[in-house]
Amino acid sequence: MAAVATLVVVLVLFLTPYIWIILTSIKSRLDALADVPVWTFTPTFDHYPKIFIDKDYLPLVWNSLIVAIFSTVLSLIFGVPAAYVFARFEFPGKEDLFFFFLTTRMAPPISIVVPMFMLFSVLGLTDKPIAVILAHTTFNVSLVVWMMRGFFADIPREIDEAAMMDGHTRGGTFLRVLLPMAAPGLAATAVLCFILSWNEFLYAFILVAFEGRTLTVGIPGLITPHGTLWGQVAAVAVVATLPILFFTFLVQKHLVRGLTFGAVKG
Amino acid sequence: MSVLFNQISKVFADGTVALDKLSLEFDKGEFIILLGPSGSGKTTACRILAGLEEATNGSVSVDGRDITNLPPRERNMSMVFQNYALYGHKTVYENIAYPLRIRKIDRDNIDSQVKKIASVLQIEQLLDRRPSQLSGGQAQRVAVARALVWTPDICLMDEPLSNLDALLRLQTRTELKRLHQDLGHTFVFVTHDQEEAMTLGTRIAVLNQGKLVQFDIPRRIYHEPATRFVAEFIGRPAMNIIEGEVSGGMFKADTLEIPVTGQPDGPVAMGIRPEQVVLREGPTDESVSFELDVLELIEPDTLLFVKKGAASMVVRVMRDVGDLDRGAEVHLELPADARHFFEISDGRRRI
Repeated sequence: MAAVATLVVVLVLFLTPYIWIILTSIKSRLDALADVPVWTFTPTFDHYPKIFIDKDYLPLVWNSLIVAIFSTVLSLIFGVPAAYVFARFEFPGKEDLFFFFLTTRMAPPISIVVPMFMLFSVLGLTDKPIAVILAHTTFNVSLVVWMMRGFFADIPREIDEAAMMDGHTRGGTFLRVLLPMAAPGLAATAVLCFILSWNEFLYAFILVAFEGRTLTVGIPGLITPHGTLWGQVAAVAVVATLPILFFTFLVQKHLVRGLTFGAVKG
Repeated sequence: MSVLFNQISKVFADGTVALDKLSLEFDKGEFIILLGPSGSGKTTACRILAGLEEATNGSVSVDGRDITNLPPRERNMSMVFQNYALYGHKTVYENIAYPLRIRKIDRDNIDSQVKKIASVLQIEQLLDRRPSQLSGGQAQRVAVARALVWTPDICLMDEPLSNLDALLRLQTRTELKRLHQDLGHTFVFVTHDQEEAMTLGTRIAVLNQGKLVQFDIPRRIYHEPATRFVAEFIGRPAMNIIEGEVSGGMFKADTLEIPVTGQPDGPVAMGIRPEQVVLREGPTDESVSFELDVLELIEPDTLLFVKKGAASMVVRVMRDVGDLDRGAEVHLELPADARHFFEISDGRRRI
């Protein structure tokens, strides 16, 4: 009973805002702004075509996807081998270097957004998605290194040794044995990277202004001098949650295992 | 084929000397045991042979070919790990087939070889399972199957039985022995269990503190231990060692006095195995009387803990001796051919 009650409380807590947003996205402006929330109303589906076609927000979805996917892939490409090295090898200054990776996440993001903007200006990369991709990669890499080190460390060293006795090189062991064994962790890490990049606002807002805008950056454009277009904001918000829902469901089995990763048995 | 450890030393980064000039040579088809207490360097020796650990000094060669600097995959050896190290994301079949797959053996051959070794180890019904669905004993067999599915020059085993419960350990031990007799592979088996060593080994290398103490067939290890350490390490209960002194043809330790022949005068440690002491009903010409301290009945045997002055001994009698009270007088013979004499100073065997 207690478990069910807890579940209900949690569900209400987490789903209410989301349902609210979905409802708002199909309410007329009048219903949305009603002083007493309206639960029965004539739904309108005007906001979606209005925002995505008339106001041309569809490319923003595309930009967000590009940024999230590429920054995730880049973070994994750089972070996973580094995590493997942290998990398996000893070298001077190892823990200091590892801590350095973590500190890149400790600084308030806003403190380095200006230097980063100037850097990208010099490189001529502002207002291009690549700028946001690289920016997101810089902080996602540390997340990948931090998480994946744990997942690799959970795989007994004997697995590496068994693979090498079975005939693999060290590289082969990493690619063909350890990566597949760490797949649940890899999936969890990738989804987390994707979500962080997809939701990120500050860097995307500063680094791109027009063509390269991501969805999160598009939303403030709907706060007009004549009031906030709540219906359209909600419509964008609903669409923005879809990829996250999709990816989370796609890897939820791995995500649960990944986030509660214990010892690898066998 | 012969395997040669030539003056192998291993010093770890923290300065620990794991192996100190280990030299060892053995032939194809042998079942070699590396035996020793923890910290004796036995596992390190095994890992150096496997190529998983680099020797600080010395060389290893197989058939005259120096393999000291070869990576594990070029050594033609397989290994069974203490925790089995099965690949959790692969089925049992794929675990066993993996060494063959890496070596790019064709599909049909892989299948027949996997099935063959699976039938030898009686795990055919497990091939579709995942390692997480196996019991300890089953996982252990899969690990052995993976190590023997191809024909490695040497199969290394690092305490493969220590994670099994007692009964299963005995069964698996017998099975390994049968496997060795049937397949004729060369095994190098690391253990701290002297009973495993005695039953499995064709020859046993006893290591202590990184040094080879004795390398011989089990019978000689038992009957002619090279040092006091080997004498006390092999056999259960451990060999009785009484420190005393020989003078004028008598061995003396506190109030204990036994006539001995052929021993020069001076301090000496005399050893005798608990099972070789003879319990007499009454005093005889050769018997010495001891005072009974504790009696333990471990059917079908009886352990008598006896003492005489400061000297104490364990006696193992292969029968039930009935009730004897604490402090009772027991008459024991210590047969001359069962006695061992070791130097007090360095523990070496005399003569």
